[in-house]
Amino acid sequence: MISICVRKLNKRYRASDGDVTALADVDVEVAEGEFVTIVGPSGCGKSTLLYILGGFIGADGGTIEVGGRAVTGPGVDRGVVFQEYALFPWLTVAQNIRYGLEMNGTPRRRCEEIVERLVRTIGLQGFEHRFPRELSGGMKQRVAIARTLAYDPKILLLDEPFGALDAQTREVMQDELLRLWQATRKTVVMVTHDVNEAVYLSERVLVMSQRPGRIVQEFEVAFDRTGEREVTVLNDDFNHLRNEVWLAVRRQAGGRSA
Amino acid sequence: MAVSVAAWSPAGARSNWLRAVWHYLPIAIVLLVWQLAVDLDLVDRAFLPSFGATLRALWEMTVNGEIAVNLLVSIYRALGGLAIGSAVGVAIGLAMATSRRADEFFGPLVATTYSLPKTSLVPLFLLWFGIGDVTNMLAVLLACLLPVIVSTYHGVKAVPAVIVWSARAMGTSHRLILWRILLPSASLSIFTGIRIALGFCFVVTISAEMIAAKTGIGKLIFLYGENGAYAYMFGGLLALVIVAYAADRALLAVMNYALRWHDSIHAAHGDG
Repeated sequence: MISICVRKLNKRYRASDGDVTALADVDVEVAEGEFVTIVGPSGCGKSTLLYILGGFIGADGGTIEVGGRAVTGPGVDRGVVFQEYALFPWLTVAQNIRYGLEMNGTPRRRCEEIVERLVRTIGLQGFEHRFPRELSGGMKQRVAIARTLAYDPKILLLDEPFGALDAQTREVMQDELLRLWQATRKTVVMVTHDVNEAVYLSERVLVMSQRPGRIVQEFEVAFDRTGEREVTVLNDDFNHLRNEVWLAVRRQAGGRSA
Repeated sequence: MAVSVAAWSPAGARSNWLRAVWHYLPIAIVLLVWQLAVDLDLVDRAFLPSFGATLRALWEMTVNGEIAVNLLVSIYRALGGLAIGSAVGVAIGLAMATSRRADEFFGPLVATTYSLPKTSLVPLFLLWFGIGDVTNMLAVLLACLLPVIVSTYHGVKAVPAVIVWSARAMGTSHRLILWRILLPSASLSIFTGIRIALGFCFVVTISAEMIAAKTGIGKLIFLYGENGAYAYMFGGLLALVIVAYAADRALLAVMNYALRWHDSIHAAHGDG
């Protein structure tokens, strides 16, 4: 089943010196339960593509369908995790996680249960009543993911979710995300500039070109990822593919090796 | 969360105490200079009563009830005008920040009336509404309106797009975005506007009462001033200053609690 279908998507931005084409004829298809990553040089429009999928900004041409229906705005079928988490700073950890449930009319008792379970899942027991400013980057990221999972969207849209984390925390969070995806089989579209992360996490990696962004290359990631991180990362297949993707991105970024 | 070491160590307790002394020192110095200037006959007692004489006059008026009656009326007008002005100001500021039509309608009005001294309208209000609360409160309301509109507008405009987007993604309706997202997100800015308005509300009340009231601290000051009873005039003024100061401290305490989630609240406003 096709979950996300994007055809001939175009997006222009108005700038002081004329229009800038951000996305040109982008075609993307994501199957239900698939984990797809979009990588590309910075400024290639990969976040723009994600925001269009989220329904936050409109396209200038082409069709965007999610679950067979045209996207006209944000919807609770698509959970979004933003680069800088976008937690509500005036709400506590528990209130942040609870927010989406409340908005969707979940009964009070059920809210309590879900919040309690998720707080335990992300290991933040004892921090329920802290405000975001009292949390570390990794904790904020966990809350951002938990609050999106709380109302159980079918699709997760992740915009460089681990970009602001230190290397160690990032690896821990990647493993958590991988386990989460393996357990829930949600459809995931993630944008990142980290090639290692893309190959490690997803089933398919799409490489975008420099602006105007279009999908120029596609890599299937077919090796087994049920084992420990070390097993995967030290695997020759993994490294071979990672290098290929890295070269593809580098060519797009205008590297001298092109 | 950074817990100040000063909060629990004995050395910290002393430094807190010192800080409080330091904080009020300038006021003490001014009062001392005032008292000495009169005691040493540097100024004419007929034109400037001493601080001591002012306190005695204030005590006398407190005992005979003169202060209570007039102060309550003034507080009622000042805080009433502030409350209505703030509510209307937040509503207009929010409308301007979220609707282009509201912005186009109110924008020019706000820009042109911003620097207008609102007390200059009191004679006109006097003509329309006569002597009494309505005229006084209307002047206060107008004076409070503009800083609250402007601060609400800028506060709401500064709400990051991703905050609104994530709220929309989680199913928040347009109407709820206002209540659940924009107002709390802009609350530091809104509170700051209300705090500025709080300062205005007492000033305008006093000015308006001098022209358009039969009671109130402004009228009291005016009458004693006209009769040359300056100690009593200063006494009334002192009572008002104390109330205005207490009101500001109270608002600050509310603000510090309501905005305890905010990064800058401790750095920007925390001195207690």
